[in-house]
Amino acid sequence: MFWLTGGFVFKRVVSPFNKLDPRVRLLVALEFFVLSLLASTISAVALVLLAILLVAAVAKSLRRIGRTVAFSGLFAVFIFAVNLLFGLGLLVAILYSFRFLAIVSSTSVFFVTTSPDELEQIMKWMRVPRDVVFAFVTAVRFIPVVMLDAFQIMDAQKSRGLEFEKGSIVRRVRNLIPILIPLVVNSVIRSGELAEAMESRAYGSTPKPTSLYGMRLMWYDVAVVVGSLLLSSAATLYIYHPVSFQV
Amino acid sequence: MSTTTSPGEKNILVSIEGLSFRYPDSQRPAVKDVSLEIGEGEVVLLAGQSGCGKSTLLRCVNGLIPHMYPGDYRGSVSVGGLKVAETPMSMLSQRVGLLFQNPENQIFMFSVERDVAFGLQNLSVPREEMRSRVDEAMRLLGVSDLALRAPHELSDGQKQRTALAGVMAMRPRLIILDEPTSLLDPKTALEVVSLIERLNRELGITFIVVEHRLELLIPIADRLVVMDGGSKVMDGVPRDVLADARVEAYGVSVPPISRLYNALSKEGVRLPKVPETPEEMAEELNGL
Amino acid sequence: MTALSDVSLTVAKGETIAIVGENGAGKTTLVRHANGLLKPTKGSVLVDGVDTRKTTTATLSRKVGIAFQNPDHQLFSESVESEVSFALRNFGFAEDLVSRRLDWALNFFGLEQYRKSSPLVLSGGEKKRLTLACILAWDPDVVVLDEPTVGQDSIQKEKLAQIFRMLKSTGKTIIIVSHDVEFLWPIQPRLVVMSSGKVVADGEISKIMADRGLLEAARVTQPQLLRLYSELRSRPPSPFLDVDDARDWVSGSRARQEAR
Repeated sequence: MFWLTGGFVFKRVVSPFNKLDPRVRLLVALEFFVLSLLASTISAVALVLLAILLVAAVAKSLRRIGRTVAFSGLFAVFIFAVNLLFGLGLLVAILYSFRFLAIVSSTSVFFVTTSPDELEQIMKWMRVPRDVVFAFVTAVRFIPVVMLDAFQIMDAQKSRGLEFEKGSIVRRVRNLIPILIPLVVNSVIRSGELAEAMESRAYGSTPKPTSLYGMRLMWYDVAVVVGSLLLSSAATLYIYHPVSFQV
Repeated sequence: MSTTTSPGEKNILVSIEGLSFRYPDSQRPAVKDVSLEIGEGEVVLLAGQSGCGKSTLLRCVNGLIPHMYPGDYRGSVSVGGLKVAETPMSMLSQRVGLLFQNPENQIFMFSVERDVAFGLQNLSVPREEMRSRVDEAMRLLGVSDLALRAPHELSDGQKQRTALAGVMAMRPRLIILDEPTSLLDPKTALEVVSLIERLNRELGITFIVVEHRLELLIPIADRLVVMDGGSKVMDGVPRDVLADARVEAYGVSVPPISRLYNALSKEGVRLPKVPETPEEMAEELNGL
Repeated sequence: MTALSDVSLTVAKGETIAIVGENGAGKTTLVRHANGLLKPTKGSVLVDGVDTRKTTTATLSRKVGIAFQNPDHQLFSESVESEVSFALRNFGFAEDLVSRRLDWALNFFGLEQYRKSSPLVLSGGEKKRLTLACILAWDPDVVVLDEPTVGQDSIQKEKLAQIFRMLKSTGKTIIIVSHDVEFLWPIQPRLVVMSSGKVVADGEISKIMADRGLLEAARVTQPQLLRLYSELRSRPPSPFLDVDDARDWVSGSRARQEAR
C-alpha cells in the first residue's frame, strides 16, 4: 500500500526542482503528461519516461517515484496483456504500458514535490472558491491521521476476536462494519472539533483571506518555463514531422 | 499569578450575568443562572465533574455559543466591554482565544508557521504584519525552530504549543483552555502550565482553564470556580475552596494533599496555612 | 527506528504490574505484543507458554484482553447488548453462555438500563465502562488497561478503582499502562518504568518512586503522598499509601506527642 501512495505524498526536500514556483512545477508535470499521450513510438515514450526520471532525480525524489513506477509496473503488465488479448499487436501493447508508466510518474513528480499548502496557493490563484480549497487542503492534511485511526480501530476489533482473513466474501465484507462505523463516527467528531477551532479563529470572516507566502516568479522560474516549452514544442514537432529534423 | 493589585482593584475583563443556556435538543439547561466576574490578569481554574456545564460555559465566553450553537440563551456575557451575543466572531476572536483538548484537531495547515498564520489570514491582515505577528507568537511559545515542520512531525507537546501560538497570534486578552493537558504526559503537562504562567506574568493575559488535574494548576491559579449541574457552586481562592469539605462531593478530583488537610481538620489537627504542595504541608507538619 | 530495545519482562499469574513512562517511551508498543497485535523483530513473546508468532491475535485475545484508551475506536453496534455480545460470539461462546455473560457484565458495570440503547449516545464515562464490560464479559485471564484514567473525573476514577479491586480479588493478572501516578500509588503494583524503548526500572513501586534522579530522567512524576513522606522529619517506617493512612499516622503521632 505504501508503495503506491508513497509516490503521491509530499515529502519536504531541498532540491532545485522544489525551489521552483509551484505553478511552474505544475506546468512541467503537465507538459510531461501531454507528451506521454502524444508520443507515438516506443522510443519516444521511453525518452519521455527517462526525462521524467531525470527530473525526479533533480528533485532528489528518484527513489520514491522509482518505487511507484515499479509498483505501477504491475498494472502496466496488465495493460500489456489486455492489449495483446484484443489483438492490437505486441508493439502497441508495449507502447501503451510504457505510456501508462509515464503518465503515472509525471503526476507523481508533481505531488511528491508540492505540499498541500502550495496546492492551496495554486487553487487560490486559479480562483477556486475559498471553502472548496479549505476542504481539499484539510482533507489532505488529515489523511495520515485518519489512517492512524483506522489502524487503531482494527487493533481494537482484532483484540475482540474479529478476524479479517477468514471466511467468505460476504463474511469479510460484514467484518468491515466494525471498522467503518467507528471510523465514520470519529471523522464526524473530528469535523465538529475542527469546525469549533475554525470558528474560534475567525474562519469565514472575509471572502478574501490574505496569506503568509505569495507566489512570485523568479528568473529561474521564467527560464524553466521558456526552456521547457521550447523543448516540448520541439518534441511535439518531431513527433508529427520527424522529417523536418533531417534537414 | 497576579500579585500587584488585589481582586477588587482590577479591571473587570469578563462579566457573566445570570447566564442560562439550553441546547435545542435538550430538556435541561446546560448552564443555569451563572454569574461571574473575572478581572484582568487573573488565572481562573474551572472544575467540576463531567456534564457540570464547564465546557458549555467556556463556549459562551468565546462566542461559539450563541454564534455557532444557537439555543435558549438568557442573561449576558461581556468580554472587554463587548457583548458576546452581539459581537461577530471576527471581533471576538481577537479578544478571546480558545484552546481545545486535542491538539491534533486544531492544526489545519501543513506547516507550523502557516497554521499560526491561519487566524490572521482570516482577518485579512496584510502580509508584512502577518509575518511579524507569526514570528512573535512562535518565539513566545518556543516553536520558532519548528516553523517549517508538518503536524505529523511534531510531538503532542509541540502540537499543543503550536495551537497556542496560533491563538496568541490573534493577540487576545483572554485565553480559555479546555482540558489542555488531559492527553499529555505529566512532564509535558507541567511545561504547558509553566508556559501559561509565563504568558500571564509577562504579558498580563487573563486565563480560564478547565482541568481535572488540579494539582498542576493550583500553584498558578488565583481562583477556583466549581460548577455542578450547570450552576456555579463554589468560587474563591484555591486554598480556601479546597479546604471546604463540600468540594469532594462535587466530583472534583481533589489532590491528595488537600484531601489530607481536610481529613486532618476533621480530626482537630489544624495546620497554620492551607498547603498547596506536599512540600508546604511537610514544612507545616514538621513545625508542629 | 526501533520502538523497543532489548526488553525482557516476566509477568506471573495473578500479578498486578504498572508500566509508566512518558508518551513515546514504548509502553503502548510493548503491551500490543501481549495479544499478538505486534510481533517482535527479535526475541519472543510467550503467553502461557505459547509463542505469539505461532498463533493469531484472535486466539491470544481469548486469554489476554486489552482495553484500549479510546472507546470511540471500538463502539459500533446498534445496542449495548450486541456490543457486549460481539466478542463473545467471535470467540464461539454458546448462545446460553453469551446471554449469561452478557447479563453479568451489564449488571456489574451498571449498564443494565442501557441494554437496548445505542452505545454512541452514552456519556464518556459510561462508554469507558462499556468497553471494560465488553472485555470482562469473556473473562480473560489477563487484563491490560491502556491509560484507563485519562480525562476521567473523580467519580469515574473511583468506579475504576472499584473495578480494579474486583479484578484483583478474582485473581486476574493485571497490566496497567498509565501516567496517573496518583491512581497507581494506593494500588502498589509492581512498577516498570520505560524510557526511549527500554526498561529502566522494574520492581517495588515505593523504592523506584523514591529515586528522584531516575524519575527525572524518565519524565515521571512522584505521587504527592510520597513527596510528603520524604520531607517529613518524623515518619513511619514505610510511606503512606493513601490519605486515610496519612491522617491516621499524623493524628496518632500528635496524640503520642501530647502524651509525653
